[in-house]
Amino acid sequence: MSRGAVRTWDIFIRLEMRALLLLAALGAVAAATTENFVGHQVLRIVPSSDAELQKVRELQELEHLQLDFWLSPRGLGDPVDIRVPFPSLQPLKAHLEANGVPYSIMIEDVQALVDLEQMQMLRRRRFMPFSTSTFDYTSYHTLDEIYAFMDLLVAENPNFVSKLEIGHTTENRPIYVLKFSKGGTNRPAIWIDTGIHSREWVTQASGVWFAKKIVQEKDEGLANILDQMDIFLEIVTNPDGFVFTHTSNRMWRKTRSKHSGALCVGVDPNRNWDAGFGGSGASSNPCSETYRGPYANSEPEVQAIVDFVKNHGNIKAFISIHSYSQLLLYPYGYTTTAVPDKEELHQVAKEAVAALSSLYGTNYKYGSIITTIYQASGGTIDWTYNQGIKYSFTFELRDTGRYGFLLPASQIVPTAQETWKALEVIMAHTRGHLY
Amino acid sequence: MHALNPSDRHASRAAWTALHYSNYHEASPSTLRALRQVLKATVKIIPEVGVKYYLQFTTDGYINGENAGSCLATVLYLKKSPPEVYIKCAHTQDKKQIQEEDNKFYHYLHHQTKPIIANNIPDSHGNIDRAHLPLWGLAIAGSSYIMLEKSTENLGYFMAQVKAVKQRIRKDSAVEFEFIILLHETPTQKIELCHMHLIWTLSPPLRVKYICTSDNHWLEDGSGQDYGSAAGLFHEKEGNF
Repeated sequence: MSRGAVRTWDIFIRLEMRALLLLAALGAVAAATTENFVGHQVLRIVPSSDAELQKVRELQELEHLQLDFWLSPRGLGDPVDIRVPFPSLQPLKAHLEANGVPYSIMIEDVQALVDLEQMQMLRRRRFMPFSTSTFDYTSYHTLDEIYAFMDLLVAENPNFVSKLEIGHTTENRPIYVLKFSKGGTNRPAIWIDTGIHSREWVTQASGVWFAKKIVQEKDEGLANILDQMDIFLEIVTNPDGFVFTHTSNRMWRKTRSKHSGALCVGVDPNRNWDAGFGGSGASSNPCSETYRGPYANSEPEVQAIVDFVKNHGNIKAFISIHSYSQLLLYPYGYTTTAVPDKEELHQVAKEAVAALSSLYGTNYKYGSIITTIYQASGGTIDWTYNQGIKYSFTFELRDTGRYGFLLPASQIVPTAQETWKALEVIMAHTRGHLY
Repeated sequence: MHALNPSDRHASRAAWTALHYSNYHEASPSTLRALRQVLKATVKIIPEVGVKYYLQFTTDGYINGENAGSCLATVLYLKKSPPEVYIKCAHTQDKKQIQEEDNKFYHYLHHQTKPIIANNIPDSHGNIDRAHLPLWGLAIAGSSYIMLEKSTENLGYFMAQVKAVKQRIRKDSAVEFEFIILLHETPTQKIELCHMHLIWTLSPPLRVKYICTSDNHWLEDGSGQDYGSAAGLFHEKEGNF
């Protein structure tokens, strides 16, 4: 979604509610507190220096101006959109001019946009969701759309869902994790990530579906789990790569880091973890799709999760999701030595796969990474297992080669649904065997 | 000779090798098969020669995704030449129906007055226009030849995407296409780009000539990654194929 689209979407989400209230209030005595937007403007500032960025951030503290940030300050070059009430316009503009912060007027008169019919028309044309109930789960989405979805989900479930920023990518994009929690402090937790390899589009799309599903099941199927545990979900684990698959190369797998001296871009984020790093099963060639990186955790996307896991200290299950091949895997990938918990993990995998297949008959194989798929060193779940996270699993979702990475969008929901069945088994088992 | 766990990656890799053979040799877009599940696998090392796999597996129709029956196959991976395959599959489809569907494909492609040109099959979202299904089918059949030649015990292939396809209209009864296809290589995860020239006359053999980015010839020519320059590597004269 373009910046302009984000702006327009933002207008809708904020104004529809208010417009409805406004219409309802027609004819009633207008109290001083009734909101209207006559004379309000939306200003856009694009900070191009640290000084400008700082000044814009400071604006958030000026409560008396009643500024409404539609796009909050992020980094250099990221637009900041602010709805400014009429009385604050002159003071704010003077303040910006005095501090040498350039701005442009994006919307001359916000009130003019409070027109339900126009909003609906634009909404239809742009197919923009007002809520996670109208979001299209049967399509593939861009990074902006998924980030917007996450904000919607949080806004709709403020006491259950929160968004954590766990780091920044090489290209300075924020890395977000959704936290689903019914309370408590640092409860034992389940971690799920999708999209670590950017071309595996069915995984990010499934992650979006899982997020919604968790909210739907919080007092139903997940009630038992959420009474004791939290769930963390990182939907776009490789944002730079993901954007690249949309803008340039649909088959891009790695991150977009540029390490000095390298002729090629990117590191395989699933070879960059500190487990068997440097051994067979990864490449030392920067141009390879399985390039391990110059050193373990060289990739900020990986370091962010490492930091999170170590700081949290209480994650009990870790599930990293890939495509394709239809496999459910447990450690190790870097060595043929079986993990101490092999019997139990094998049994859990067996049950999870049975549950998955029960829905649409999709065939999965399961086993350790090295025997079932191939030797791979520096892999995610080898590291998490060695950190003591016993229930570490990797999925390879649909299909088995016909469409491969280009899985038809019509298969997103069935894939997510069947995978969810397997996740339920893993989560329930973790909950029933807390350690 | 020892039994393999059907889940073993070598077993599914060998099964796909057998299917590449079959998909190429049938020269029939409507009988293209994809691997569903390996049921049984055994492997035998033949000293000085290579490694031989004995397989039983189930399949799905590549284009329609429906159950396409089971196959028995042997795959002999040799040291210096492409694998030798023997494969026999149960026929779940009526022979007449297969012929009809292939004829439909063939006639659609043969009766074009303007050369078909298309890109990105499937597209980024996995969609394929109905009109492009025969092209996808032909590309799979043709690329199966490439993938068969490249397959080893440790390297497997899938056709990831048709980046571009251009028809060459012929006066005779054959249909002729130039493709740029992407192959997905495992376990290296490499995406290999190949230029493939294909001639189909409804019955086998499918005539395929190709060159891929990893082939030495390509690198020596200095043709690089430029799609256009590859065209000159093939015989251009009609009938001289």
